[in-house]
Amino acid sequence: MSDGMYAGKPALEAYGLGMRYRRGWALRDCSFRLPAGRICGLVGPNGAGKTTLLNIAAHVLEPTNGSISLFGEAPGSAESGRRTAFLAQEKPLFRRFTVAETLRLGRELNPGWDQRAAEDIIRAGNVPFEAKISTLSGGQRTRVAIALAFGKRPELLLLDEPMSDLDPVVRHEIMGILLAEAAEHGTTVLMSTHVLAELENVCDYLVVVSGGGVRLAGDVDELMSVHTMVTGVREGDGLPVALGHHTLVESRISGRQFTALIRPEGPVTGPWETDTPNMEELLLAYLRSPDAPPLVTPTAQVHGQGQAFGIGTVAA
Amino acid sequence: MSTFTSASNPAGTTTGTPTDGKNGTMNATTTEATRRPHLSGMTWLVWRQHRAGFWSILAAAALSVAWMVYQRGQLTDFLTGHGYPAKNLDEVGSAFQQYVDAFSFVALGLGVIPILLGVFLGAPLLAGDLENGTAKLVAAQSMSRTRWLATKLALAGLVVVVSTGVLSAVFGWWWNPVKSEVTVMDWMSSQAFNNTGPVPVALTLLSVFGGVAIGVVLRRTLMAMVVTFGFTVALQVVWSYSIESLGNAVTVTTNKGVMGENGSPSLPRGAYEIDYSFVTGSGDLVGFGTCSGSQTDAARQVCLDKADVVGYAVEYLPMSQMHGMQWFGASILFAVTAGVVAFLFFWGRKRLV
Repeated sequence: MSDGMYAGKPALEAYGLGMRYRRGWALRDCSFRLPAGRICGLVGPNGAGKTTLLNIAAHVLEPTNGSISLFGEAPGSAESGRRTAFLAQEKPLFRRFTVAETLRLGRELNPGWDQRAAEDIIRAGNVPFEAKISTLSGGQRTRVAIALAFGKRPELLLLDEPMSDLDPVVRHEIMGILLAEAAEHGTTVLMSTHVLAELENVCDYLVVVSGGGVRLAGDVDELMSVHTMVTGVREGDGLPVALGHHTLVESRISGRQFTALIRPEGPVTGPWETDTPNMEELLLAYLRSPDAPPLVTPTAQVHGQGQAFGIGTVAA
Repeated sequence: MSTFTSASNPAGTTTGTPTDGKNGTMNATTTEATRRPHLSGMTWLVWRQHRAGFWSILAAAALSVAWMVYQRGQLTDFLTGHGYPAKNLDEVGSAFQQYVDAFSFVALGLGVIPILLGVFLGAPLLAGDLENGTAKLVAAQSMSRTRWLATKLALAGLVVVVSTGVLSAVFGWWWNPVKSEVTVMDWMSSQAFNNTGPVPVALTLLSVFGGVAIGVVLRRTLMAMVVTFGFTVALQVVWSYSIESLGNAVTVTTNKGVMGENGSPSLPRGAYEIDYSFVTGSGDLVGFGTCSGSQTDAARQVCLDKADVVGYAVEYLPMSQMHGMQWFGASILFAVTAGVVAFLFFWGRKRLV
């Protein structure tokens, strides 16, 4: 990960984003930066504010506090509207339109429309062009909605739970299309999910939101490299005292064993096994421990966010 | 993005032309343009989404026009046979009734158009998209929501204006030969006043756009339809109560007493009487019922003399004001409609997804 990669413009920057509904805050003081060209997983438990965040970026909702910028423009500007595509969770389509008419909708309303890219996605799923949307299965509808989003040739693609109603085979195939398209055109993707397995091998960037705030944000490799999984024999009731000067994310005790995910502040020495966590272990640890100190790596920090990399920033 | 994909485009695609995506698109559009009026962009989308409704309205209007043209032919045949207008229709009897009934029947149908279109075109126009999420789909494309709103209102408005405008003109043309016959239709009745000139256009436009606004606020199709029904009915009621105040009432007075046969004033043909009262020697108006409790004519005369009643005072609207009243009323309705449209654009800037 050279610094050259980060020199590029950010695709999305959120500054102190807050959203309050009648029943309370869905999103609170949420700040992060997504560099252009990344495929970013937006992870969090149900109700964590993922959909709210994407809806604000797609100009469906207006934030209560803070702001968000897409390529330096506010959501809803003509410029950001043209460069961004959004696939809402419910994947709305006109039920009485045929597939071909749905693609024509994209063609008529988007100046940079790529008919071939959209048709290829439809054809790969053997969805008949003259079929009405209302007669399609859930998976086929998702495919049409994805074709519509891709045909727009966006520079930033916002996907809200895109794979939720697809079977594993189609899910795998759609992921393949997503990666190929994104790689070919340098598209930035921000994709929310709570299926952690979807993220492995797909995302190279992660933003974890939980309880309305950002818990973890940054480059995947970087995030992995600053965490260590420690396993060993427990001492007394809790963790070995020697681990205490590292930043603890989560620890679990089973029998005489303990397992802890830490952010080491120096060499980890002791009678323990250390290992690099995989993405699922990392995410699960953060999702299970809402009180763990958040970590936002420098590439994911917006201007003025001033969190030092590697140092466990205590949740204020 | 590649423009060299000619061979890889199998048949059955949207474009159907063996060229690349972009040029194929253009070809397809040109072919379509030769077949039908060229619709593109947002106009295409809105027309496509509502085409069933729009075509139904236009077809129903065309059928009604054909029926009225036929009825007018029947009417003029009868009038020519009867020798009208040289010979008046007073002793024509029951043979003419069917032509009168035809007016009532059609006028009843035309009268419910504002309510029908308000409920079935206006209320679901945007509420449907807001309810099932397609507003989000449109908002996710490159064109602005304002453009979407403007196109929806413009196309729905155009269909409403064209259909109600033509119906109004044809209904007026049918009525014209017997316009001065109060027995056919009184010009101040809702049958005549609300179905001719600019009034049906204005009433329907306000009903429809009012329905759109209700739908945008409520965001639920069924609820919006119910509330719009109430709104359009209320509009009809308020309108029917305000018609009278649109004109400048003319007052005619007499001074030949109120007991004789020839004392009552002569009003122009088709005049709509608003108020009948007595006038005193000093010019004051007293109630029409003054002295009506007297037992005999002589006693009543004494009573009237005592009250200094010298004649009748009749307030009326001459038929010549009909046109002016219709345009005045319609312009008020148009102004309110403009306010509703302004509200829609204001409200829609943030909440149209």
